[in-house]
Amino acid sequence: MDADLFLTWVRGTGLNISIGIFLLGMLWRLFEIYSLGRKPDLAVPRHRAGASGLHTLFRRSVPPPGMFKRSPVSYVAGYVFHIGLFIIVFLFAQHIKLIQELTGLSWPALPAQFIDATAVVTLATMLLVLAERINKPVKRFLSTFGDYAGWALTFLPVLTGYLANRHLLLAYTAMLALHILSVELLLIFLPFTKLMHAFTLWGSRWYNGDVNGRKGVPT
Amino acid sequence: MSASLDKGISVLKEMIDAPIASYFSSCVHCGLCAEACLFYTETGDPKYTPIYKLEPLRRVYKQEYTLLGRLGKMLGLFKPVTDEELEEWKPLVYDSCTLCGRCSLVCPVGNDIVYMVRKLREGMAVSGHAPEGLIGASKRAVEIGSPMGVKLPAVKAQMKHVQQDTGIEIPLDVVGAEYMVLMSSMEIINFPEYLGAIARIMKQAGKSWTLCSEAFEATNSGIQIGVSDIAATLVQRIVDGAEKLKVKTVISPECGHAYTALRWEGPNLVGRAYSFEVLHILEVLDGFRNEGLLKTTGFEDELLTFHDPCQLVRRGGVLEQPRTLLKMVAKNYVEMSDPGKMNWCCGGGGGVSAIEEAEALRLTAFKVKKTQLEETGAKTLVTACANCRIVLEEGLEHYKMDIPVVGLTETIAKHLVEGASDEHQQR
Amino acid sequence: MNISNDNEFKAALGKLAGVRQRQIAARFAESVLALCTDHRLKTAIDSAKRADVTRDELAAAFQSAKAVSVDSYTQCGHDCNWNNQAVHFVAQAVLAALKPAEPGSSPAWDAAMHARMARTCERIANGDGTDNTEAAAQYRILTEFLKV
Repeated sequence: MDADLFLTWVRGTGLNISIGIFLLGMLWRLFEIYSLGRKPDLAVPRHRAGASGLHTLFRRSVPPPGMFKRSPVSYVAGYVFHIGLFIIVFLFAQHIKLIQELTGLSWPALPAQFIDATAVVTLATMLLVLAERINKPVKRFLSTFGDYAGWALTFLPVLTGYLANRHLLLAYTAMLALHILSVELLLIFLPFTKLMHAFTLWGSRWYNGDVNGRKGVPT
Repeated sequence: MSASLDKGISVLKEMIDAPIASYFSSCVHCGLCAEACLFYTETGDPKYTPIYKLEPLRRVYKQEYTLLGRLGKMLGLFKPVTDEELEEWKPLVYDSCTLCGRCSLVCPVGNDIVYMVRKLREGMAVSGHAPEGLIGASKRAVEIGSPMGVKLPAVKAQMKHVQQDTGIEIPLDVVGAEYMVLMSSMEIINFPEYLGAIARIMKQAGKSWTLCSEAFEATNSGIQIGVSDIAATLVQRIVDGAEKLKVKTVISPECGHAYTALRWEGPNLVGRAYSFEVLHILEVLDGFRNEGLLKTTGFEDELLTFHDPCQLVRRGGVLEQPRTLLKMVAKNYVEMSDPGKMNWCCGGGGGVSAIEEAEALRLTAFKVKKTQLEETGAKTLVTACANCRIVLEEGLEHYKMDIPVVGLTETIAKHLVEGASDEHQQR
Repeated sequence: MNISNDNEFKAALGKLAGVRQRQIAARFAESVLALCTDHRLKTAIDSAKRADVTRDELAAAFQSAKAVSVDSYTQCGHDCNWNNQAVHFVAQAVLAALKPAEPGSSPAWDAAMHARMARTCERIANGDGTDNTEAAAQYRILTEFLKV
């Protein structure tokens, strides 16, 4: 298949299919999870400032006392690649343009060079994360096919995007088509893999923080 | 599939709620929970990673409550949970988890892992995969009234003993008393000083209190083994006793899980809020202090440190009170590393100290406490849980460390101003 | 003087100086030593009874009594073995005798209390109630001791 045709397909049919699966899958998964509900707590709550589900939503992003030094790579690399992904996805001019076409919303972009540099740092950090997963006994022990697949599904869009933007390896059209395809794969699989945590972690933190908050355990 | 396994799986299905579904969907296998668990940090064995201890529950969740899981199960891609698997997980779900909840506090995606261990134990117990030690304790708790087989005559003997020791009458079954005092079997058997301390403190504060012959035991093996029916029976006993005696407040003793069982799980177990208040003894003492009813004199000479019982602090929310109280009688006080809600467990909570086959592992896990203590250089260790106390004493003896372990309530009582009660009564 | 109740008993103990406190405390422990077969406690009691015992000997005796005390504990959730528990309180009585004296503490009284607990545990173990005559035995021991 010719690169232009391929690009047209991933931009049209491919995108529609993947967004469709993503939205339906996501709605289904969220329904499947949160419709299970939970029993009301009959114990009289203790009230304490700074202890609640809402606090936990944010504070859980900060390492609890004593934890940073036990696993510094998890924390530092975790921050770097998550923030990197955020910058690349939401602050790159072309992405903002796409979002504007789809939703009408737009905001200022960061310079392309900065995005390039961020992509390099993010890719390097993700490689480090992968190395740590393979080397650290606990992580290796816990890891399943899903963990490596989730890593690859996240890594490939960043890699292909960077290569396309820098006109490396393949012709721009072909690499861009691959980039979009990799994003579509990510969208399709996201609701059914651990990548789902991007959505459910807010619910998880809230539940956990709520229980602690009712007991008056500060978060 | 055996009938008991069938029951176990259906109990697990009942246990799974939105939080559990959300937690399993959020786990990214980062392994940070392992770094928070003393059974992993002290052994270095990845199988003690907290989230891994939940595998059977996760598999039931996936196969019963997710579309893809159900499909996979139908197509035979996923094997159902078996008796062999549950038996294999027994040491992970019981022996190597004290329900201390440290993992739940560090999980970056917010998973309340200990909440899930507690639920998994329900399925384990029903399907016949609970440890012998906990089965015995729960049976005795229901049939005799105490997990350690303590009967009322033993309580009465201790009351008499404390009366002789302190010269204070110990009230029993007094209707309309303000406080109903519960004890743990450990305190009845091993620590008569607790009741003596209560008698003296109540006398000084000028408060009316009573023991209850039908509900003297505060501990709850049902929570530890994971059988809600048993847990509810034991809570109901206390509720009935307190309502019969028309007390305002029930005081949970120096025991960690007794407090969370009665204060936080209890109303949910019996299905309604209580007509009385539940306070831990340290909350009561701190209240007395606030009202000026707790008068002490003198200070401990030795350098002291405090071991936070997990259920009291991390799972119970009683954080500042022990410190405020301790400072009343100790100028020379040092905190351990990771104090308060991040404290490390003694290694014997959650029923672990009642599991014979867990002893070697428990002593290995105690190394974290040993290190913490060595860092402080403390000469006396104060705590507020009779189980922690014994587990600490055993650990210290095992590692040849000469540090006495004492209860906070008795330490306060040691410094009471004698005769201060008359003053209150005149006011 | 004949001691016949706890008030007299406590008052008489209160008048004893440090070494004598320890010696009588050791005698209270000795009176229930039959409940315990562990020879370590016997040795510790013998040390505590001696007037010329050294500081090091006392510390060693304390250590071994402490070990017996921890060994004989009933662990949380275990079915209480009241015979073991009796041993625990014998050990506690010995420990009370050997503990370095603190202002306001009364080792002999504490040892007496632990010894009574030991006797109570024995009675529960035998299944014949909790009443016992250890207090009366202690009055006699003290009366004799004061005569010397």
